[in-house]
Amino acid sequence: MMPLMEDRSSPPGATAIVLAGGKSSRMGTPKALLLFDGEPLIVHVVTTLRRLFPEVVVVAAPGQDLPSMPVTLVRDEVAYQGPVGGICYGLRASGGNVSFVTACDTAFLSSRLISHLLAQIPQHDVVVPHWQGRLQPLHAVYRRSVLPLLEGQLARGELRPVFLFDKVPTRRIEEEEIRLFDPEGWSFFNMNTPDDYSEALTRWSEASIPCTVELFGVARLVAQTREVSLVLPPEATCAEMFAALAKKLPVLVGPVISPDRTRLVDGYACNVNGLQFVRSPAVSINPGDKLVILSADAGG
Amino acid sequence: MHGFCGRFLHVDLASGRSVFRPLEESRLRHYLGGVGLGTTLLHEYAPAGVDPLSPANPLVFTSAPLVGTGLTTTAKFAVVTKSPLTGFIADSLSSSHFALELKRLGIDALVITGQAPSLAYVSIRGQHVEIRAADHLKGKSPQDTESSIRAGLSRPGVWVASIGIAGEHRVRFATISNEGRHAGRGGVGAVMGSKNLKAIAVQGDEETSVAHPQEVEAIADVLRHRSLGSLTDKYRRVGTVANLAVFNRLGTLPTRNFQQATFEDADALSGETLTQNHFSRRHGCAFCTIRCERLFKTRGGAGTDQRLEYETLFALGPLCGISDPEWVLQAAGLCDRYGLDSISTGGTLAWAMEAAEKGLLPEARALGLRFGDGGGVLAAIHAIAACDGVGALLAEGSRRAAIETGRNSSDWAMHVKGLELPGYDPRSLKTMALGLAVSPRGACHNRSGAYEADFSGDVDRFHGDSERGGMVAAAEDFATILDSLIVCKFLRKCFSDFYAEAAELLSQVTGWAYTAADLRRTGERIHTAKKLFNIRERWQPEDDWLPPRLLSDRLPTGVGKGVGLSPDELREMVRGYYQARQWDENGFVPQWKLQELGIEPATH
Repeated sequence: MMPLMEDRSSPPGATAIVLAGGKSSRMGTPKALLLFDGEPLIVHVVTTLRRLFPEVVVVAAPGQDLPSMPVTLVRDEVAYQGPVGGICYGLRASGGNVSFVTACDTAFLSSRLISHLLAQIPQHDVVVPHWQGRLQPLHAVYRRSVLPLLEGQLARGELRPVFLFDKVPTRRIEEEEIRLFDPEGWSFFNMNTPDDYSEALTRWSEASIPCTVELFGVARLVAQTREVSLVLPPEATCAEMFAALAKKLPVLVGPVISPDRTRLVDGYACNVNGLQFVRSPAVSINPGDKLVILSADAGG
Repeated sequence: MHGFCGRFLHVDLASGRSVFRPLEESRLRHYLGGVGLGTTLLHEYAPAGVDPLSPANPLVFTSAPLVGTGLTTTAKFAVVTKSPLTGFIADSLSSSHFALELKRLGIDALVITGQAPSLAYVSIRGQHVEIRAADHLKGKSPQDTESSIRAGLSRPGVWVASIGIAGEHRVRFATISNEGRHAGRGGVGAVMGSKNLKAIAVQGDEETSVAHPQEVEAIADVLRHRSLGSLTDKYRRVGTVANLAVFNRLGTLPTRNFQQATFEDADALSGETLTQNHFSRRHGCAFCTIRCERLFKTRGGAGTDQRLEYETLFALGPLCGISDPEWVLQAAGLCDRYGLDSISTGGTLAWAMEAAEKGLLPEARALGLRFGDGGGVLAAIHAIAACDGVGALLAEGSRRAAIETGRNSSDWAMHVKGLELPGYDPRSLKTMALGLAVSPRGACHNRSGAYEADFSGDVDRFHGDSERGGMVAAAEDFATILDSLIVCKFLRKCFSDFYAEAAELLSQVTGWAYTAADLRRTGERIHTAKKLFNIRERWQPEDDWLPPRLLSDRLPTGVGKGVGLSPDELREMVRGYYQARQWDENGFVPQWKLQELGIEPATH
């Protein structure tokens, strides 16, 4: 009667780095600003990462236009030096010892896969997926201690991150292992051309999770509604549901939903389908779920 | 002595004598106040096997160390006696100014024994105790009784606890009422009525002495601040009536005498609907920052505001198949006016409705008692309070009424130990099922709060196992400490580490050093003392059990559709509970446990 639910807790103290300073030459328009799920693509990526990481660093090209976001923004010291430059500038600006690095056009990030990568880092300096024969340095975890080596590469003009992997303890995550968390590897889908963009939009509409949120007690009275329908991103968790609910009913932010929009405030609870109470915002949501927001306090 | 007064007042209504007696420090240290102190005085004053409605059954009012300290939600008192409904311990709480004034008498407890020759009330002003005639109060509601006594004494600062006509008529689930609140469960009002005691009026002038006032004030400040945060949102912004819609959604709202756990008209009665359509004002106990009480407008009659809590709403609403809030508000008003426990009233009426549907109790049918008939409910409440016709049978409570009626009607008498079930269906809350089965005062949601485990996400609420035993024991001890300090349960989540913080608070109030471990052990000691009283009053293992319906019928509707509770499942949970308590396999307390807990021979 009670299905097991996955808990996708994020690691403490890690940083996410988003490289946004590419030329977008094949796309013909700045990728970071492509409209995706009703917002600029980079906002979509940053919003996803903000649910997993306390700090997000965006590395942009000098003078590049970007929307306002709750991130640490740094600029390439020298534009268009490729991923190694971006990773260097990002690691320098990051507050944590461990960083997950990705690009601004990765619309289908999997919190499960990212969590798995982060869980491997204690024994390694780099954790990098190996998907369909290619290493994925822009979906990888780096220890801050590799920064001097990367700076050396940059000085020597070795602009491909893979040169680093032979020099430090690196854990390659092979395809079979990746598929446990992201069966189709959509995490590695980049949008380089207008066709890629079109494919991504189609995929997004097909893989989204429709669900219903039922409000009880104070939540209902504050929102003046009993129920709302939401469409959540693929592999959404409760944290994503809270964020989407906050977007639809901003009046709940503060009284019921935390200001960072990732959890309920103390005194409130979430139940799935009237059956199971969930304690962690990292619990995954399935299509058709009915999420019940209620007081955490029964009795009286 | 700090926090405590170190003495109690014994009033014997038969002789008219009253005497202040000392309370030894060790008793107060080990049993605190409230329910703990009351339990020891019950052991001491109640002869073994006493008839609850006889003059010899003591009626014990107790105060507690935190009362009068200014800490939010502590204006409370306890009433402890042998229940006429269960034959076991009854411990009921009420609150507000009467509680503060009782403490201001400079006593920790008031023990009343005997029976007045005719209806009387006791007036206590400081050291001065007077037993006065109360013929002029006969038949009055508690509210009118309070007004009349206060007007008669013509001095300010008098607070009154009294019974309504139900108590006078010894309805076994009559309450003791003060300021619109009730010591509601277990029939304490019937015991008061059996003593020909209509009311107690108190007026004192002693302040509670606190060992370390500045430290206490600092703790009180923190709790006051937390009590105004999101942790108490439900109580402050909707009230306990918020439970109804949620319980319906979770498939645990007892409906039509527990034949279902969902109610098709729950929306009409939900706390949210009541708030939007009927809300009049918010109210609170004296010096309470949470102020959970909600008063709702009634349409008809005097158009007065009616206080309504979830338990009353469920019992007089879905349990009886009533969907119109107006009927529920009127029925709740009658229970208040007559001094009736609304849970037992609803539970007994629902039993009678089902009996009438099955062709029994023609008199009940003639009264209009059928599921969904609000007029029938009102008529039956009048009849119960007056003990008129079939009302006299229903005034005995569902257990006795079913035994007298026969024809298998005990199968749908929804009680534990004679106390009617509160608004939680045990089949979809298995930890709660165990809590209800083993509670010393009968089916009670306040003496363990075991439902919290079911609503926590830590357990499968649809499936019980022996591990629930430890959870229920812990929940009981926690509630026991709250009821003995006394702190309102609605403040419970405002403590971040309850036992450590409460021990610190108690130490600062009393000047006696308590640790968290001391307090945990005290909770266990008090709970065990309650159990010992029941054992003395011939408790048997079969008393820790649930009504047949819950063990045979599966839930027909809601998210728990198809879920049942088997006797084996319950047996396993009860076994786990006795094991967690370190009692023997039949639920009796071994001698070594008594010694370990330091329970004195006088208590057993």
